[in-house]
Amino acid sequence: MSRILRIELRRSFGIATIVMVVVVGAIMLYAAPQRWSSSWMELMMVQREYLVLLWPLAISAGAYQARREHRSKVDELFASTARPRFQRVVPTLGAVGISVVAGYLLMIAVAAPWIWDTARYLPAAAFAVAAVGVLSVIAAAWLGMAVGRLLPSPVTAPLLGVGALAYLAFLPFALEEWLGALISPMADMGSFHDFQTISGRVSAGQAVFLAGLAVAAVVLLAAGSPRARLTALLPALLGLGLGVVVMPHGDDYVYPATDRVAQELVCAPDLPRVCVSRVHEGLLPEVVPKARQALALLAKVPGAPTAAEEKTVTYFEKDAPRPTHGPEIVTIPITVDREGHLAWPGLVVPRMLDAAGADGLGCEHGGAPDEVARAAGSWLSGVEPVAEPEESPETNQEAIALWNDLRKLPEREALARVTALREAVVTCKQTITLGPVKAP
Amino acid sequence: MRFLTLYLRSRRVPLALVVAAGGTALMWGIWQLASDDRDANSTVVILTVLIAAACFAHTLNGPDDELERTAAVRWPRRRATHLILALGVTVALVLATLATGARFGPPLFVLRDAAGVLGLIALGAALVGPARSWFLPLIWTLGVAIFPQPSPLPAVVATWQHQPPGSRPAAITAAVLALAGLIAFTAYGPARRAAATQA
Repeated sequence: MSRILRIELRRSFGIATIVMVVVVGAIMLYAAPQRWSSSWMELMMVQREYLVLLWPLAISAGAYQARREHRSKVDELFASTARPRFQRVVPTLGAVGISVVAGYLLMIAVAAPWIWDTARYLPAAAFAVAAVGVLSVIAAAWLGMAVGRLLPSPVTAPLLGVGALAYLAFLPFALEEWLGALISPMADMGSFHDFQTISGRVSAGQAVFLAGLAVAAVVLLAAGSPRARLTALLPALLGLGLGVVVMPHGDDYVYPATDRVAQELVCAPDLPRVCVSRVHEGLLPEVVPKARQALALLAKVPGAPTAAEEKTVTYFEKDAPRPTHGPEIVTIPITVDREGHLAWPGLVVPRMLDAAGADGLGCEHGGAPDEVARAAGSWLSGVEPVAEPEESPETNQEAIALWNDLRKLPEREALARVTALREAVVTCKQTITLGPVKAP
Repeated sequence: MRFLTLYLRSRRVPLALVVAAGGTALMWGIWQLASDDRDANSTVVILTVLIAAACFAHTLNGPDDELERTAAVRWPRRRATHLILALGVTVALVLATLATGARFGPPLFVLRDAAGVLGLIALGAALVGPARSWFLPLIWTLGVAIFPQPSPLPAVVATWQHQPPGSRPAAITAAVLALAGLIAFTAYGPARRAAATQA
């Protein structure tokens, strides 16, 4: 049996399928590495999203493979052998399945070195997302084989590819969101923030549905008579029904879902306290020196923050509490660049010093104007204001002008103004300036 | 006349014509039902052109290539004519919708995409055989339909199928693919392979 499988792997379309899946997958992944550079979970989800092409590829490869006997004109000869059909199709099913799975896993292997040294957090949900992806390509390839055998025409395979794309990418829009996510393994895999996850129930529902499809495809391939083929409907419908039961419905279905464990803070061992979210743990060595430098510069302001933390609350959580950072904690701005490292490392300290470490995140009308906040920060560091990426140049010019005004003032007066600015932000004042401090 | 009939039959051209027309009609019907806009969205046009063109991939060889090569027939000019007619039929099928309530156009866009896709198919037929020739254009075009890129230049060239009809880099890319396919297939014909890989 394993000898037949080996021969089948070599003789079938197997190697070509592996190569196509890996090449197409690698092109999509490396065309935009910033989409998956921040975590393993993100990589697994993006890969699922790229099923939009890999699924049509797998289904077409299966349909192409299934026509082999027809192409070689050995249909009738093989039908006359005294072996059950099922025994004959198993090695081919195995070879095609192994090739698409190998392609899918190799795709992960191609992406892994890119984030190997920065991505740490590897939740069980990431394995579930990848496992559903593997199951989905098996189901696609076998389904392709089944359809290719039922309609052994040279146009079946390419048209099936176009149909699969329409099924995956367009059909979910016509359905309710949870149902679309159940039937399309690439739906709702887009990444909005770094703390995203796919709940176990969603993965389980998708797995049950896809397993039903795969079994239906095997039944179709093994069936000799039209009546036996009809029984293929049973596993398909069973999978759909069970999937509908398992899948969260309506409001219970949350997208994008947040992983609370990924949001938990992980702190550097010594003081002052510097913490980042668990998902960004690998960035801690890059973050700590910058955060401590900022804390040291802030220390001259009365009531300065003594700890630095990443803000882990996202705007996608409907019922999440608003950020509750007290004024004793300064926010570390963390964005991940396409290499998986800290983006704009030169801007981390200036951003932490903005408005002397106060952000208006808890307030209704958040914080100081950019140029005012930046001028105050620059006064603390003594370094000229640096423009943010993709910002209008006027903002930074104004910041430089304000900073120069501050520098001309006596040290005590300037410190008083910066302190007053920080107080105004912390207490959610409406108008925030660097103007002279009125005596109380 | 007899040669023509036998040729078309050996290439299973009737099947290709029926399926290409059916596929185009299906896409047309979907757009007619799903949208109030008279002009079809470019993604739908791209997919329709791909469907119509891919149906002709298997017509690029017959049941026995080796036998045909031994015949005293000028195959190169017949292969070139075959490709050009396939392009004509593909474009005509898609542009026929211009007279209806759901228009798949503009004509230059359809012509460019059909020429490029058929060129890729012909190139594939010469290199790996007609039976597999549709894989590359299929995956490339589906990818472009899902991930269109308006800039920069390398991305424009890579996603030529989706560029506006006036785009020069896209037109040049399509023309290069079409000519490469035409020349390669005309000169070499379908790839010589074991019978198992014939369409």
